[in-house]
Amino acid sequence: MRTISAVLANRSVRASLIAVVAIALIVAPLILPAFTNQTLVRIGVYAVAILGLNIVMGYTGQVNLGQIFFVGLGAYVAAYGVNHDWNILLVFVAACVIPGIVGLFVALAAARLGGLAIAMVTIALPIVGVPLAKRLDEFTGGSQGTSARFTDAPDWSGLYNDQWQFYIVLLVTAAAFLLARNLVRGRYGRSFGVVRENEAVAASMGISPYRTKVLAFTVASIFGGASGFLYLAAVQYTSPETLSFGHSISLVAAMVIGGAGSITGALIGGAYYVFVPQLTNAIDPNLTAISQGAILLAVLFLLPQGLVSLPRVIRRLARRRTAPSTPSGKPPQNSPVHHPTTEAAVREGLETQRGKIDHED
Amino acid sequence: MGTFIQLVVDGLATGSIYAALALAIVLVNQATGLINFAQGGMAVLSAYIAYAFTRLGLPLILAILIAVVVSFLIGAVIERFLIRRFEGGDPDTAVVVTIGLLALVTGICAVRWGYNNLAFPSLFPLTSVEILGAVVSVRSLATTVTIVAIMVALQVLFLRTKLGLALRAVADNPSSAALSGLPVGRLLMVGWGFAASLGAIAGVLVAPQLTLTPGMLDTALVYALAAVILGGLSSPIGCVVAASAIGVLENLAAVYVPLVGHDLKIAVPFVLIFVILVIRPQGLFGRKVVVRV
Amino acid sequence: MTLLELAGVTAYYGPVQVLHGVGLSVPEGGSVGILGANGAGKTTTLRAISGTVRTGGRISFDGHDVRGLRPDQVAVRGVAHVPEGRGTLGQLSVRENLLVGAYLRKDRAAISGDIDYCLDLFPQLQDRIGSRAASLSGGEQQMLAVARAFMAKPKLLLLDEASLGLAPSTSKAVYEAIRRLRVESGIAMVVVEQNANLAFSLVDSATVLETGRNVLTGSAAELKGMDEIRRAYLGG
Repeated sequence: MRTISAVLANRSVRASLIAVVAIALIVAPLILPAFTNQTLVRIGVYAVAILGLNIVMGYTGQVNLGQIFFVGLGAYVAAYGVNHDWNILLVFVAACVIPGIVGLFVALAAARLGGLAIAMVTIALPIVGVPLAKRLDEFTGGSQGTSARFTDAPDWSGLYNDQWQFYIVLLVTAAAFLLARNLVRGRYGRSFGVVRENEAVAASMGISPYRTKVLAFTVASIFGGASGFLYLAAVQYTSPETLSFGHSISLVAAMVIGGAGSITGALIGGAYYVFVPQLTNAIDPNLTAISQGAILLAVLFLLPQGLVSLPRVIRRLARRRTAPSTPSGKPPQNSPVHHPTTEAAVREGLETQRGKIDHED
Repeated sequence: MGTFIQLVVDGLATGSIYAALALAIVLVNQATGLINFAQGGMAVLSAYIAYAFTRLGLPLILAILIAVVVSFLIGAVIERFLIRRFEGGDPDTAVVVTIGLLALVTGICAVRWGYNNLAFPSLFPLTSVEILGAVVSVRSLATTVTIVAIMVALQVLFLRTKLGLALRAVADNPSSAALSGLPVGRLLMVGWGFAASLGAIAGVLVAPQLTLTPGMLDTALVYALAAVILGGLSSPIGCVVAASAIGVLENLAAVYVPLVGHDLKIAVPFVLIFVILVIRPQGLFGRKVVVRV
Repeated sequence: MTLLELAGVTAYYGPVQVLHGVGLSVPEGGSVGILGANGAGKTTTLRAISGTVRTGGRISFDGHDVRGLRPDQVAVRGVAHVPEGRGTLGQLSVRENLLVGAYLRKDRAAISGDIDYCLDLFPQLQDRIGSRAASLSGGEQQMLAVARAFMAKPKLLLLDEASLGLAPSTSKAVYEAIRRLRVESGIAMVVVEQNANLAFSLVDSATVLETGRNVLTGSAAELKGMDEIRRAYLGG
């Protein structure tokens, strides 16, 4: 294991690995069957939405239960643009910008409340969004929904539709992941992390928790809009059902199961979002919700960092088996969350008002 | 004028349902510091349990009482075996846990009873009475009265009994309460149990009107959360007032404001929240932060 | 007869070990002080006794092994802990705080008499009996914390920095009342106190901790005379 990561650390090895993956992704749709391509396309669609959710929730620690609203909004904007013969680039920009603006306004109000209130407000977005979409039928086609075909493969390409769609989604998804990676690794990413860990500390460092939250939420909404554009590109149809409450919950579940605060986790989350309902639907459609709840809770108990942390956990377990056991008076294993024990908490006698409740019945 | 009074009374009835759910949320938040997004889902399960007992031939009132007791146990078990593990940790993780719980509970209802709407018998007659010249449904009146009576009973429990004192002490400061010998864990289970029972009552009272589906209370949960935001997490009375106001306002808006209509009345409390937040950034009741972080 | 016996007690906050084998012995009705600099492990020792920190070693109270018990289980056996920072129940009234203190008692009739005794002990609380604890002054909160602990009728009182943040005259009054409480009730005590003068006014013997270990143990009279104690804690 360690040798593999050592090899990976090498720059040229990494570059060539990326090249191999890129080539594989470019060649794959040409040889894969249509159904597989469509499945991969849908993974890309939701991975972008989950990536956005990850930025606001995983990286900045603000629970957002309304991400699907922005996906739906992006899809509707794209459909409207396509049906009014806008230039496709304009359609894409509008599908990102309009959800971004709406997200900005929601965040400007919700982030003022702080804490869990953002979760409490955002949960309303899909609940309000569905009747709103039905009402605004001249834009949305009402309950019937609206379809928009703009991703049929052009003749010059010599591609099938599924292949053409694959490339569109691949392009946007790859760009989104690259952008997100640079964002979370840069200055803003650091302020996201500080705000998540401790808002008071952030404020003392000159980082405004309010502005940081608004920024993260807005970025998440833009990613949601981009995902909506891709959704329309892949499905060519959208309806109020797209932004239903259940789907919003599924997005959150997929994000956590994939791995909060991890770029790769978003990709795994996208795969989970597409595959698991497919699987449970095949067995019994009524099983979808219960399996979702059970899997999410199981992951929270066993792998709080999500599936992306599985290799790390296995490695640790393997090491523990070989290494001698820890010295006597074993220190208790701490909470599942990624908050490191701060210096202050270690200081003797710092018993907070609502400290960890250490009791088992 | 007649319509107006009818609308207000109906609004108070739905408002009292939101209030019951909001109180359950506040109860859990006071005890364990987290927001239970599964409170509505758990209440739906309770209503299904009552439904199952009526199908066994039990009288409705008995089926409801059994469901309330069973819900208490379910709430306590959930606290002990699911929530306990995440208490005192990261509040965001705890929120996701309750989201998982919501999916699980909804899923259990779906697997056992399916997604088709089921008719739930009403505890109250579906007749109307005339008050001040307005025709008012007995069900709305009785629902409001029942919930108000339960709230008074809860108030007595919390302010006048040793158990209530202990629950408040644990809510105030669990680690300090433990030093006086209060069994914090068991009291937290009791708190969750009461919240679940309260939700059960809300569920069975609203089920005849909405008909039973696994997602029956998703919307009501959102209303209840809006009431909690407006009323303040630390103020049960504020929540009840806010919930009633929301119930009445949305009903009036649905009829008198054409732009809103029945389909978009859910937006009313949130437009209210947004307007208030823009005008009064510190929140409704002057607190800077309504939610303990 | 020994009431409380600690031997080789270790304690951890997360992965950080704070106590490295602390010993302590309190006879029935006795009063023992724990002295030491900031971070020496005084508060943690009290927390080890009351079960609010994970511990190793041996802690026996009243003939029973109490190590590893939950705080409420330790309280049931007769230990009342007045924590650092008082830990009153802020949203509850003074009377309710006292009633919570008496939670474990079954002798309902005697409780109101004991509340009267507390109010006699701390007359300042008399006027505030219906006020929320959070609205009290620091000194009043400290008095309430001590009174609440007494309401449990414990065999052992753990007292942590009762003078912290109080004006000298107030802390003197608090210690005066605690001394009276000790004389009249015979409750054994473990006293953690930065101010050694106050500590020695209340204890028969004391132990000095340094980075989680005992470095000195002796009677109050012996320790008072020692140069190192004088230098470290009496500011001489």
